[in-house]
Amino acid sequence: MSLLDRRLHVNIGKGGVGKTTVTAALALLLAQRGKRVLVAEVRAQNVPAILGARGRGREIAQVAENLWAIALEPKASMREYALMRLHSKVLYRSIFENRLVASFLGFIPSLPELVMLGKVLHEVREGNWDAVVLDAPATGHGLTFLGVSRAVGQTIPAGPLRSETEWMQGLLEDPQATAIHLVAIPEELAVTETTELARAVRERLALPLGMLFLNRHVPERFSDAELEALSRGFAAPQLEAAADAARAHEDRARRSTRYEKQLRGLGLPLTTLPLLYPERAVGRREIETLAARIEAMA
Amino acid sequence: MSGSLDPLLQREVVVCVGAGGVGKTTIAAAVALHAAMEGKRAIVLTIDPARRLATALGLSALDNQATRVPLSEGARGELWAMMLDLERSWDEFVGRTVAPERREAILRNRFYKTLSSSLAGSQEYIATQKLHEIHASGRYDLVVLDTPPTQNALDFLDAPRRILDFLGNDTLRSLLGPALRAGRLGFKLFQMGSNALLKGLSRLTGVETLEELARFLAEIQPTYDEFKERAARVHALLASDRAAFLLVTTARGGPVEEAIYFHRLLVEAGMPLAAVVANRVHPDHLGGLPLPSPEALADELLREGVVDQGQPPLSRRLHQTLVEARALARLDAANLERLEASTHPSPQVRVPRFSGDVYDLPALRTIADHLFARS
Repeated sequence: MSLLDRRLHVNIGKGGVGKTTVTAALALLLAQRGKRVLVAEVRAQNVPAILGARGRGREIAQVAENLWAIALEPKASMREYALMRLHSKVLYRSIFENRLVASFLGFIPSLPELVMLGKVLHEVREGNWDAVVLDAPATGHGLTFLGVSRAVGQTIPAGPLRSETEWMQGLLEDPQATAIHLVAIPEELAVTETTELARAVRERLALPLGMLFLNRHVPERFSDAELEALSRGFAAPQLEAAADAARAHEDRARRSTRYEKQLRGLGLPLTTLPLLYPERAVGRREIETLAARIEAMA
Repeated sequence: MSGSLDPLLQREVVVCVGAGGVGKTTIAAAVALHAAMEGKRAIVLTIDPARRLATALGLSALDNQATRVPLSEGARGELWAMMLDLERSWDEFVGRTVAPERREAILRNRFYKTLSSSLAGSQEYIATQKLHEIHASGRYDLVVLDTPPTQNALDFLDAPRRILDFLGNDTLRSLLGPALRAGRLGFKLFQMGSNALLKGLSRLTGVETLEELARFLAEIQPTYDEFKERAARVHALLASDRAAFLLVTTARGGPVEEAIYFHRLLVEAGMPLAAVVANRVHPDHLGGLPLPSPEALADELLREGVVDQGQPPLSRRLHQTLVEARALARLDAANLERLEASTHPSPQVRVPRFSGDVYDLPALRTIADHLFARS
């Protein structure tokens, strides 16, 4: 079975590596393959706009053919969870309209993360979707987020919350159902973090890793001899500008090659996604380019 | 666009804020380095620097130890660096503020672990406490803080207050009053009997969780005023003209949107914003020149005696590279125009993207040259 057939896809990576762009591309690809797809973002909503659509925040909204989006918010997720448990809107209101309760709930270890992750996993479990794609928070927060059901299960006293964590953990750990994908770019800090992330996901969280996306990858274009010939300084300003641009390009390209090699050492299926040169912001066209690239490599 | 940061050297505290992955640490280090070159005793406090940058600064461990960074001959001041261990800082903080007989119970409480490690904003609270402590020591002329990456831009300004609101919440005190009075002595929450609110809550979280929280609050209560006073002192320092904020971003769309949002929050909070720093901006190699055709480039290569070979030929590849570089530069320029318009009238500083990663003192000097006027 292909990795793309998993029911839950999670993208995690350092801040600023283009995780959300990759999430949009992966979700679009799955939708193009005819799956019913839900894409979930945590405390944010950017995927709909990237695809040229409008999301409706914490309400599920369709943003493309076969593709729906939701923004996870602690309050909305908490409300859903509470209604499920309390079976009473009156009781819910009497409790949750209390200002104190709001701050109290923020203090229960990891409760906001737990109810948001619970919402995602609930959507997977209910079988309303062929695939759910989660754009996890950046590295540290992302690990906390994915580890929350495990951490709460281990630390909180027995009670309703702990039993919630058990089915959640079962679904997350299931290698038939879940794939945790890593997103990186060819820069030192991001590559180091990706290596540490892979270890943390595999060993500390014991979750099934999926693909590794190396985003903003630049192919090599100039040989050493050419760079040498271009380095002596030209009187013609346009040629000198071209030489400058060539050096900057090749610097990025060679780091792409070097870090790609290093990341392949992690033993995950690696997909390189090219640096894009959009005329305006990254939009539907660029996302389709990336989706096609993932399709070709998968 | 350079030189606008010179007034920073008159300040005592500089806080670098911004989204993750924009190069806050590098900018913070460059500011401290420049101050040191100009004769100040400067220290940069960082949370999680890239390894090679840490090495360049002589840092090897998260240890809350100030380390002196050796500078070149021309330096008139001193550069120090410190990596903050936030959990340890919390422990030290509790050690200083909580009476010894209550300390153990607090450090053991599960809610303390949340407070010291994962509660949103607790990192910011303790990082600014540390900043205040180091500033108050009087050992440095300038303290530069590289803030922890926040999940939400609001956290940095909001969370310390949120923590205090929670710890000092009057409703909470009255609700958990019996628990607070009973302290650790065998209190059982369900003895509160008829309180529907607590009963409802316990159906969500379990009774024991509520009990442990009540115990934690009982332990922390006597220290609350101290917590609050310290937070107020930090806030007063950061809002004063002895401090300055640098809002750091890249020119990419996402970080620019976040920077615009964060700028509004800083201004609303009355924080002294010194400048918006756009880092790693793609340069337009051509400046104002028109894009040359592949044929024109081929002619110039020929004139310069550079062989125009390869598949595709060098001139075509150079052309393609210029087209791409121009696209990146134009996209950045459009984003920065939006940034400038939305953060007016804050001064704008732009630092170009350099080839290679910035991980040594000469590279930091180059960055500093874009931030400050050269003296």
